[in-house]
Amino acid sequence: MDAMIQEKLQKILRRELKYSSTNLAFNMLISKLQKKLQADPGCMDGCMKEMEDFLAKYTIVAKVDLANIAAL
Amino acid sequence: MLKTLEETIAMIEEGKVLQIAADDALLQKLPKGQWIGGTTPYFISSEGGVFTKDRLFVNEVDYAEEVRIASYGKYNIFQIVEECYDNGLTMLIMPYGSDVAAKYAKEAPEVEELLMHPTVGWISGDDLEAPSIAPKTYDGTKAEGYSDRAVAMYIRLPEGRTAMINLVNIFTDDKKDPVIRFHENELSATECTVDGEEVVFAEYIQKNGLDPRMPLVADYNGSYINTSIRGTEGKAVGFYAPVFKNVEYRFAKPVTDYAGQLKDSIRAAGAHQPVFSCNCILNYLYADLNGQQIPPYTGPVTFGEIAYQLINQTLVYCEIVG
Repeated sequence: MDAMIQEKLQKILRRELKYSSTNLAFNMLISKLQKKLQADPGCMDGCMKEMEDFLAKYTIVAKVDLANIAAL
Repeated sequence: MLKTLEETIAMIEEGKVLQIAADDALLQKLPKGQWIGGTTPYFISSEGGVFTKDRLFVNEVDYAEEVRIASYGKYNIFQIVEECYDNGLTMLIMPYGSDVAAKYAKEAPEVEELLMHPTVGWISGDDLEAPSIAPKTYDGTKAEGYSDRAVAMYIRLPEGRTAMINLVNIFTDDKKDPVIRFHENELSATECTVDGEEVVFAEYIQKNGLDPRMPLVADYNGSYINTSIRGTEGKAVGFYAPVFKNVEYRFAKPVTDYAGQLKDSIRAAGAHQPVFSCNCILNYLYADLNGQQIPPYTGPVTFGEIAYQLINQTLVYCEIVG
């Protein structure tokens, strides 16, 4: 995954950047990972792995989200 | 769409893969086949909302590469994340008030991998005016009904296609309203905090004149998830889906024109081609959907909706994209 996208995803998980998807599952995942990270700030690598696995699985629908996140 | 018993039996005997919602007396008469079912006498048909015990709502799964059907109790319900197809859709039906539904409701949000496997479905129920049976689910491969088991239909999708689950929810929150937090993942609560202050929840609702027909809403990164209030027993407030201890809730902003707002929300959601949809019994009652059409959404009227986790007072739908 592009380093710039990775950085923005990390900012979304740290709630430094706001992004809401039209994909319910992606929003639920972001919300879950934000809470996980808030409880344990050291778990960013695990959260990013979960995020990347999700986006890799749903490439068809993730394209739009990734383009939108790149444009943030 | 709504079918007669004879038409439904003919479809099963033709080997069609079906999801069926109907009154228990009809489901009991169906032969073995590739179908799953659940009880409800309320439906949204293409002609509008309808209450009937004479017809069945039949949804044909004609987009599957392969299908498997299984049933689960409360001790193994989460095997669904292991037994589903990698590129697929899991359709789940659970009986209202059952242990398996309670277990799923309370634990699904914590289950690793659940969001990796599109899971949609509903909670079966009964006639609210004249309840006669325990809500049931049916595994059509055995033609057996259960009041304590979830049934799952695993649908394998063609390569390059993905199931997208989404919802139409008329409720949002006002971020200026007090934040409500609960102490446990529970289907009923006595105490909670409101903006950090400990209160008895039932008393808080009463004192503030809050309308219990309005659900609690939680903001999941822009997707609002509702938890509806079932009622109050003494000091305990019961819910149709659990509240979670690590989630911030607010009461939904009041809705003055329930039916109008539901139709506006459906319009705002844009045009879709759902392969499945279900709508909450509370929407059906409060928006008086009997006789009203809400295209393109047709399906069972349900006693809880599943969009990965159990939610309430929502129209849930699934599309196949790609």
